[in-house]
Amino acid sequence: METAGKTTEQSPSPAISALAMRYLVLAALIVIASLGFGFANENFFSLANIGILLRSISVLFIVSMAMTFVMLTGGIDLSVGSNVAFAGGVGVIALTATGSAPVGFLAAILAGMSIGLINGIFVGRMKLSAFMVTLATFALARGLALVIYDADSINVSNAIFLWLGGTSWGNVPVVIPFVVLVFAVLSVVLYRTTFGRDVYAAGANFKTAFVLGRRPERTLVWVYILSGALAGLSAIITVGRVSSGQPWAGLYLEFDAITAVILGGTSLFGGRGRLFGTILGVLLYGIIINGLVLTGTNPYLQSLIKGAILLSVVLLDSWTQRGKQR
Amino acid sequence: MTTVGKLLRERNIIFVTLACCLVFYLINPRLLSLDNLSAISRQIVPIGLIALGQFFVVVSGNIDLSMGMASVLFAIVLGVFFGMTGGVELGLLAVVASSLALGFFNGVMVAKLKLPAFIVTLSVLFMAQGLSGLIIPRGQQIFLMGGFFSYVGSETFLGIYLSFWFLVALFGLAYVVYNHTRIGTCIIAIGNSEENAKLAGINIDRVKIGIFMFSGLCSGFAGVMLSTRMGFVQPGLDGNGLLLDGIAAIIIGGTLILGGRGTIGGAFWGLLFIGLVNNALNLLNVEDVWHQVFKGLVILAALGANWILWQSREATAH
Amino acid sequence: MTLKSTSALAAVFAAAATGSAFAGNDDALDIVFINDGHVAPYHVAWLAGFEDAIAAYGEAFPDLEISGRWLSAEGSLERMIQQAEVTINEAPDIMFVNAINVDAFEPLVAQAQDAGITWIAVHSAMESADYSFTLGDITNGRNQGMAMCALSGGEPFQVAIMLGQAGNPSGEARRQGILEGISTCDNIEVVAEQPADWDTVRAQSIAENWMTQFPELDAISGVTDAYMYPSLAIAANSGRSDLQLYGYDGDIPILEQMRDGPVMADILLSGTREGWNFVQMAYRLHRGDELEKVYDFFTPLVLTEENHRLALENGFPENIEVYSVDQALDVAANGFREFGPDSVR
Repeated sequence: METAGKTTEQSPSPAISALAMRYLVLAALIVIASLGFGFANENFFSLANIGILLRSISVLFIVSMAMTFVMLTGGIDLSVGSNVAFAGGVGVIALTATGSAPVGFLAAILAGMSIGLINGIFVGRMKLSAFMVTLATFALARGLALVIYDADSINVSNAIFLWLGGTSWGNVPVVIPFVVLVFAVLSVVLYRTTFGRDVYAAGANFKTAFVLGRRPERTLVWVYILSGALAGLSAIITVGRVSSGQPWAGLYLEFDAITAVILGGTSLFGGRGRLFGTILGVLLYGIIINGLVLTGTNPYLQSLIKGAILLSVVLLDSWTQRGKQR
Repeated sequence: MTTVGKLLRERNIIFVTLACCLVFYLINPRLLSLDNLSAISRQIVPIGLIALGQFFVVVSGNIDLSMGMASVLFAIVLGVFFGMTGGVELGLLAVVASSLALGFFNGVMVAKLKLPAFIVTLSVLFMAQGLSGLIIPRGQQIFLMGGFFSYVGSETFLGIYLSFWFLVALFGLAYVVYNHTRIGTCIIAIGNSEENAKLAGINIDRVKIGIFMFSGLCSGFAGVMLSTRMGFVQPGLDGNGLLLDGIAAIIIGGTLILGGRGTIGGAFWGLLFIGLVNNALNLLNVEDVWHQVFKGLVILAALGANWILWQSREATAH
Repeated sequence: MTLKSTSALAAVFAAAATGSAFAGNDDALDIVFINDGHVAPYHVAWLAGFEDAIAAYGEAFPDLEISGRWLSAEGSLERMIQQAEVTINEAPDIMFVNAINVDAFEPLVAQAQDAGITWIAVHSAMESADYSFTLGDITNGRNQGMAMCALSGGEPFQVAIMLGQAGNPSGEARRQGILEGISTCDNIEVVAEQPADWDTVRAQSIAENWMTQFPELDAISGVTDAYMYPSLAIAANSGRSDLQLYGYDGDIPILEQMRDGPVMADILLSGTREGWNFVQMAYRLHRGDELEKVYDFFTPLVLTEENHRLALENGFPENIEVYSVDQALDVAANGFREFGPDSVR
């Protein structure tokens, strides 16, 4: 067990130095994009706009951090967006029924975790393709959301329930420090606990992890449950943001999160990546979207720009890596 | 052992598909009527073309996420040329050329520059989506009337739609190439281990570029088929829905998403399964809010049944 | 936006150079239109009409600096909220918002009004909004349903209805209207209702399945003309020239199919017209005209003259305004002029 611990602790470290370059590239792009948009529109750097920008990507931050865990194990979770709608629905209905915000919070998180549990069992225990399983729960969770809402939205007026997603201290939305808190907690979990090491180990090599007695199946189940729980948390924020429960909440969220995580340098094959990279990825993505809205860019052009940026980041990355090897 | 395992996997999806047929049939006998089967056969053509192109990509250990949006883009390329020339010849030529070029681009990025296929093709997905709106002035729709479109869209041979014959022929061709030529062996070898494939003297880059060019071409065909069915094209059609259905078809058909394993027959059965489920949603008149629940549950059930069969057969085999 | 700020800057310099008192050119009107999508044929015509109208007003009133842009939420509520927040921070003069869900926008309406922005709710009326621009979806749907009653010939008649996205307010209102209209006679049976999510590919598959599932199907009714395109192709391909289609939107290609084709009735909205109407409305508000709080867009039912006569014989109410195909085509093609700069001079 001693040696096992050592090998897995060391395994991420060579990857990190390679990742450092990626982070520099991302940081440079963030600066360039900000300056560009700031030049095009004087409002871009206003405190109000920065607050709007951060609030609009707060859910993406949380979901992308969860996605980072999943992708570190070599998996993928397409169900998060639908799960945000489903968990929000359960939470809002529990809130309406009992009038108690804590019950609502708990219900939302548990509902999110239950979809995560389904994913975890099918992917972890039954070793089925994560892509396929979460594609099924992507449909299932959206469907359940439509069913429990009966396709209609539900108004929420409970101040406690709305506090997290809806309140601002001046120009600072409450949710921003909260996201920082979640980042801190998840960092501790990923870098300072055995569970975190197991996540890297499961992704680096499922079979080796198994030989080393790390029970990768169980790790996988918990990773998907974690992803579900964070979807539940995102659901609470979303409800607060729109002061109502919405059956179509979280649309496209999974694609945005996957894009941001990839931008952040997390490997698709697991085992390589850091939460910090994901934060940079979400920031870059959010700045681009915000800037394109500010400049009123045609949506088709927006797609083209999104694709071009994604491709150029990986191209730049591979180019700098190659330069370093020579 | 591996051939036995392969066969078992293939049989599983046949079993699951037939079981679904039976259940749906008991609920609504019209499902197995000739009319309906022929409707299904036509509906699955674009999905099937995407599944086929995707099959080789996935077996080689990659993925092509651009196929759905690219097929929408190529449908629009055809439409734009049709709008300009009033004929389809130039348009078809342009579709074939541009789809091969797009596949070549994907292939070079993945093979030569060693970029992950997932990211390259995701970028291309976004770019195809953008281009599809930008090459039509203001994103308007274009009508496709005339001989070619109604001919491919509705003509039958031996009571079966021409478009379905085309799909079957392509699947047949793919079966021969995959199972009886060196190309098939090369693709499986690459999917299993690139290192070993290299050692075996396979020109990995060339095979990979070829695979992506084929998947590009399949997107092109899918776009043409889409346009003949619709009678008009517009940007913003649900290309990603086609992509996900295509991937679902081959994975349900037993193709390993990590590469190295899969059968053409399994992919075809997976395709029939997806076509059946999509069709049953309408035919069983599932109430609108239950649609997605139904689809999610059926896929999960299929995956679960597949797994149980796999487990039990494996147990008896030991 | 860059254009706007640079030209504003240029105006300041010009004013400084001539030393004039600088009065005329600070008269500016900035309009933002946030829509729920941009790909359906109706949306395309709508947004194009909006763009064209901005340009035309800009040309016709050189003293007024008029600028406008549109954003598409692509069906995502969160995206729409972000777009609205960013826009409010920009403080344009007037915002048109086609809210995906009106409840979610109540806080933003208040925020916009605090920032001095006039909020115009599009399609689904909002009590809190400054103005609402509505279509009368229920009435229109009812007219479509009643036309079907009158044209179904009194024999047992099967219809399948293609819906919008589950829960979408416009789609739900249209559906409710259609069902109300159909219920005024007792020979029509609704054999199926399916959502096609405003998507033509999905509409294609659904219509195909209906054709095999209900061999006796007499009509397909849709809550948008986007569904009529694939339905037309299917009716033609499967040799069902007797299949009746009932549309909604007034897209020109669908209106053209009404003379001899299978499309029996349509609702004339015309996206182009609506886009122009927005700009006219914004101009009039800017000028200080008094407008009604709820503005109802005029959207008549369209029938061929022959069918209208037939319908009247079968008890179709005489007080419902009906446009002939020629009239409707004329309005769809040229009706935007009604809202052009000349209309407000």
